[in-house]
Amino acid sequence: MARRAFGLLGFLAVATLVALAPHWVSDFRAFQLATVGIYFIAIVGLNVLTGYSGQISLGHGAFMAIGGYTTAILMANHGVRDLWTIPLAALVAGVAGFLFGIPALRLSGLYLALVTFGIAVSFPSLLKKFAGLTGGGRGLNLFGLPQQTGGGVSVKLARHELTNNDWLYYLTWTIAGVLFVLAWLFLRGQAGRALRALRDSPVAAASAGVWPALYKTLAFGISAAFAGVAGSLLAIAVAFVNPDTFPISLSITLLVGAVVAGIGSVLGRFGSYVGPLAGASLIVFLQAYASDLLRWIEKGIPLHADPKAPGVPAVIFGLVVIVVMLLFPAGVGGVLDALTSRLSRRSY
Amino acid sequence: MRKLLLAGVLVAALAPTALGATRSDPGVDANSILIGGTAPLSGEASAGAGVARGAEAYFKWVNAHGGVNGRKIDYRYLDDGYDPSRTVQATRQLVQQDKVFAIFNTLGTANNLAIRSFLNQSKVPQLFSASGATTLGRDFGQYPYTMGYIPSYAAEGKIYGQYVVKTRPKAKIAVLYQDDDYGNDLLAGLRKGLGGRARQLVAKAGYDPTATDVASQVAQLKGSKADTFMIFAFGKFSLQAFFAMNKLGWRPKITIVNAVASASGLMALPPAKSTEGAISIVFTKDPANPAWAKDKGVKLFQTVMRRYYADGVKSGYAAAGASSAYTMVDALKKAGKDPTRASLVNAATHLNERGNPFLLPGILVKTTPRDRFPVSQLRLQRWHKGHWNIFGKLLVAKP
Repeated sequence: MARRAFGLLGFLAVATLVALAPHWVSDFRAFQLATVGIYFIAIVGLNVLTGYSGQISLGHGAFMAIGGYTTAILMANHGVRDLWTIPLAALVAGVAGFLFGIPALRLSGLYLALVTFGIAVSFPSLLKKFAGLTGGGRGLNLFGLPQQTGGGVSVKLARHELTNNDWLYYLTWTIAGVLFVLAWLFLRGQAGRALRALRDSPVAAASAGVWPALYKTLAFGISAAFAGVAGSLLAIAVAFVNPDTFPISLSITLLVGAVVAGIGSVLGRFGSYVGPLAGASLIVFLQAYASDLLRWIEKGIPLHADPKAPGVPAVIFGLVVIVVMLLFPAGVGGVLDALTSRLSRRSY
Repeated sequence: MRKLLLAGVLVAALAPTALGATRSDPGVDANSILIGGTAPLSGEASAGAGVARGAEAYFKWVNAHGGVNGRKIDYRYLDDGYDPSRTVQATRQLVQQDKVFAIFNTLGTANNLAIRSFLNQSKVPQLFSASGATTLGRDFGQYPYTMGYIPSYAAEGKIYGQYVVKTRPKAKIAVLYQDDDYGNDLLAGLRKGLGGRARQLVAKAGYDPTATDVASQVAQLKGSKADTFMIFAFGKFSLQAFFAMNKLGWRPKITIVNAVASASGLMALPPAKSTEGAISIVFTKDPANPAWAKDKGVKLFQTVMRRYYADGVKSGYAAAGASSAYTMVDALKKAGKDPTRASLVNAATHLNERGNPFLLPGILVKTTPRDRFPVSQLRLQRWHKGHWNIFGKLLVAKP
């Protein structure tokens, strides 16, 4: 009981923090935090797949692209308002993920990782191939379209005037909150147990009456739908898509974010939302401020590296990931889970 | 206590007015003007980074000589790798976080078009874009804060068309073009210049700006038996085209290469057999050309570069950047003692600049609110033995 109360209190505290954040930060920071919310959604989705059903995907950037392009094409070519495209993006990406999950049943571990990476590599070329639909390399511009809520300036919400960036922030984090609760509801019961059983021992699970094909493809579909929502929100936030909005490296970045978050952190515990929050923040802020970080390190250790040189952010990103993995092999979420379970046990 | 507090609030509220700071827009304070932009510092088109670095060098020179109306110009340019989606994010950061006064010299057609609605919505000037997209100068009704600098691509294409009609009326033309707004703009201009002879355009092959190679397109064009080859490409793609021509042993009677791909530094790289006799247009003084060695403008350019950007001493891209930086300084001076975004756009649409030291002699940088093509005069040049040689008289290049 005490543990429940503790968990609820933690969740409420984090939720309040998220709700009030735009009051304390600058307009641009709100935009960055909105992108953190976008990666949060994708990481929670990836955790359903990789953490729970044990299938590794290096192709989730492509599912984000499917969601992003669904939104962009509907807005730019079919006059659909941006908000309505979000569920459609989830549907399209979810169906694509479900269908991909069927052949994925025959593969596991490294082989599955390779095949999904194949999707990530080939998808940008596919987007360029169908230039008539996707705009090819020059992309689709969504800024200032009548379908864009607020036209990129400001949004009136219940008599409050929100700047575009604050609007994006609340939009992303509302959806992130809803999706997180949905994922929790899905995984806390039978489905979650079945997936974990399949991950730990497929044979034992099957003999206990779990249908592997159903649950594995379902996990793929749900996970891809989450990625689709993330991609859709990214398209709405940036208001521009081209194949480079969803580069090959995005898929790897997402997996790194999920690993830092803590693969398989049990949903509902403190670590299961703070973990993805940490993973998503790492993706957004480390990439944006890697060269500043290098400059800061240079003050202590003279490395004679040029912070403006291309490739520096990638190297710093890799280094930080190695350090995090060495210190917290279970990810940030895992560490927090261990800490909070010890704390709550003491309060029994 | 309460009175003291009230007084404090009043002072705080009035202080900016007293300093005259409330009248200016973001990015301008008593000592500096912050402008921003993006350039491909990395990736496929990183040769174009010289345009930003050349402009930066000239601003530093101006700052060392007193700045603009007592303010130093702080030019902050971010890397976008020639990728429009990164241009969008970087520009947003410049406008919303760094609070730049204006966006200047952003390189690339797709890149400029991707940020145009955002900047006009935010009422931030997007000036002297390093792109010749015709729409940047033409569609000011919809986008009043946007303006290019170099001659429009449509005008450039038109001049090539007119040149071919005049010198080889029976020519059969094949075109390699970048399949985006930039390449299609040049192609449309070429058709206009050919006029009734547009049928002589016998083959065209486009490539995606994110492609890796254009050799197969060149082979396809060679197969068309054309005797005139036009390269409407950028950066490494134009190099690949020359290399492919050489490998295939294709020697068209006329080879035309568009201006942004014709820097001497690039032209010197492919085998001389393939580049010899190539034709292009020119509007800046090429610092790599010994013909300009004694020119006052080029001497100034080299002094500036030696001090602030040593790699740019012979770079045509740096010269292009310096020329637009010169005009930017001109516009900022004209924008008044306390420039606003509106006064800057007003100044940029009333330019009448004679003697930009980095442009060809005789070119007048002139704009009006209804004519927004700053540089619209140019000359033809021919590549011969490792150098460009200018020929013909000054031509008017309007789309």
